[in-house]
Amino acid sequence: MIEVLRAGVQCTVQDAGRCVRALGVPAGGAADPVARRLGNALVGNPAGAAGLEITLGGPTLRFHAPALLSLCGAPFGATLDGEPVALGRAVAVLAGQVLRVGGTPRGLRAFLAVRGGLRGTPVFGSVSTDLRGGFGGLEGRALRSGDRLAWSVLPPVAPGRAFPSPGLWTPLGPQHVLRVVGTPELGDTLRGALLDRSFRVGSQADRMGVRLEEAVAAPVEPGRASVPNVPGMVQLPPDGRPILLLPDAGTHGGYPTPLVVITADLPRLGQLRPGDTVTFREVTLASAWAALRVQEGALRQAEWALRHAR
Amino acid sequence: MSLPVLFTPLGDAAVRVVTPLARELQAALEARPLPGVREVVPALGQLTLLLDPLVVRPDLLEGAVRERLAVLSAQPAASGRTVVVPVTFDGPDLTWCAAHAGLSPAGLVGALCAAPLEVAFLGFTPGFAFLTGLPAALQMPRLDAPRERVPAGSVALGGPWAGVYPRATPGGWRLVGRTTMNFFDLSRAEPVPWRAGDWVRFEVSRD
Repeated sequence: MIEVLRAGVQCTVQDAGRCVRALGVPAGGAADPVARRLGNALVGNPAGAAGLEITLGGPTLRFHAPALLSLCGAPFGATLDGEPVALGRAVAVLAGQVLRVGGTPRGLRAFLAVRGGLRGTPVFGSVSTDLRGGFGGLEGRALRSGDRLAWSVLPPVAPGRAFPSPGLWTPLGPQHVLRVVGTPELGDTLRGALLDRSFRVGSQADRMGVRLEEAVAAPVEPGRASVPNVPGMVQLPPDGRPILLLPDAGTHGGYPTPLVVITADLPRLGQLRPGDTVTFREVTLASAWAALRVQEGALRQAEWALRHAR
Repeated sequence: MSLPVLFTPLGDAAVRVVTPLARELQAALEARPLPGVREVVPALGQLTLLLDPLVVRPDLLEGAVRERLAVLSAQPAASGRTVVVPVTFDGPDLTWCAAHAGLSPAGLVGALCAAPLEVAFLGFTPGFAFLTGLPAALQMPRLDAPRERVPAGSVALGGPWAGVYPRATPGGWRLVGRTTMNFFDLSRAEPVPWRAGDWVRFEVSRD
C-alpha cells in the first residue's frame, strides 16, 4: 500500500485509456505513453498497466510494503529516504521508505510505475482517472494527502540492469517541432497562418487540451455540426488561438480542425509546458507512417530488452 | 446499386466515412470488426474510424469498408428501442422558446412531447445524446454565450437538436425542463442507456 503524505500538483492514476468514444466517453490514459510503456517495461508490467501520472510538481509517498518502481518522463527530481532516485531505472523500495518527487525544469509529466500496477475499479475497461467526468482512478479525482493506493502484487524480481537509451524518451522542449498532417479544412490561408512559425504554449494546458497564445484568423461557422475528434487534432475556436487536443478532450467538437499531429509525435503533447514554443511542420502521410514504424520498432525492441535483461 | 461514399483521412490514424448508411455500417463494424480498426465513432451521417496505422493504412481500408457497405445496402436497418424520458417542463428558457415558436408554453410542451425524436449519435460528454427529429418550429438558436454551468438532467434545445445533459457542464442550448433520469450511471450494468438508432419520447413528469 502507498500512503500519500503530500499530493503534489496533479497526480492521477492512468493506464492506456479506454475505447468508448461512441458513448461520448473520452479516451483518457497517460499523456506521455512512451513514459508509460518504458516505465512499465522497467518493472516487468504489461505495457498498459496503471501507474501514477505526475504533473508539474510531484507527491510524497510512503510505501508500506516492498515494491519495485520506476519514474519515467520529464526529469523530476526525486529521492528515496533522501537518496537521489535515478530516472528511467528500476528501483527497489523497502517497506516504510518515503519517495519524494519534486519539480522538473523541463517538460511537464512523469509516469511512476509500480511492479504489479496500481489497482482501481475499471470503467469501460480502464482504471484511468477522468477528472472532468469524475470517474476512474481514485474516486475520479487527483490524489489528496491521506489517500491510499494499492497495487497488485507480482512475484518479486531484482531490478534489471538494462535501461532505455536516452534517444527513446519523449523530447521535452522548451522548443517543439510537431509534425502534422493537414485535413481538408487546411486551405492556403490557414496553411500560411499555422505552419512554420512559432506559437507559445499558454497557461491553459491540462489533460483535455493545450491552448496556444498567438491567434490566427479563424473561419467562423456558427451552424457547424459536431463531428468526432481524433487524437492530436488542432482545433481552431472563433478567437483564433489553436487548441491541441489531449487524451481527456471531448469526443466530438464543432470547431474547424485544420491539422492533426502525427501519431509518432502524440507523446510530445503530454510534455508541452506553459511558456514552451510550438512549431507545426507539415509532412506527408507516408512519412508519418514511416516515422511511426521507426519509433514503434525501437520502443518494442527496448521493451523486450528491459523485460528480459534481468 | 452503389451509394455515394466519401473517405477522408484525418491525420495518419483515422478516416472519416460519410455515407447515408453510417448507422448500419457502425453496427456491422461492431459486430465484425475490421483488422486495425480500434474504434468506430458516429456523428450525423458519418463515422470516424480510429485506426492502428501499424496494422492498416486508411487508404488500404477503403476497399474493405466499401465491401461491407455493398452488403448492407440490401438489408433493412434494424429499428431501435424506445426510451421514454419523464420531464418537468420548468426550464429558464421555456417561455422564451415558446414565444420563439409562436406557441404558448403548454403548446410548446405538447409539440415537444409529440415529436418523434431519434438518437443520432452520442458525444460531447459521457452519455450525452444528440436527438434529431425536431419540427422546424421547435428548432432554437443557441445562446450567444454558453452558460458556465448547466445543471445535470437539464432538457435542452439547440439548433436542430434536442438533448439531456447527463452531468453539470457548460452549455449553450436553451433549457426547457429537467429529468431525474440519469444517462451516465456507472453503478448500472449498462451505464449509458441509449444508443444511436434508439427512439426517444419526452413525456410530462407526473411527479
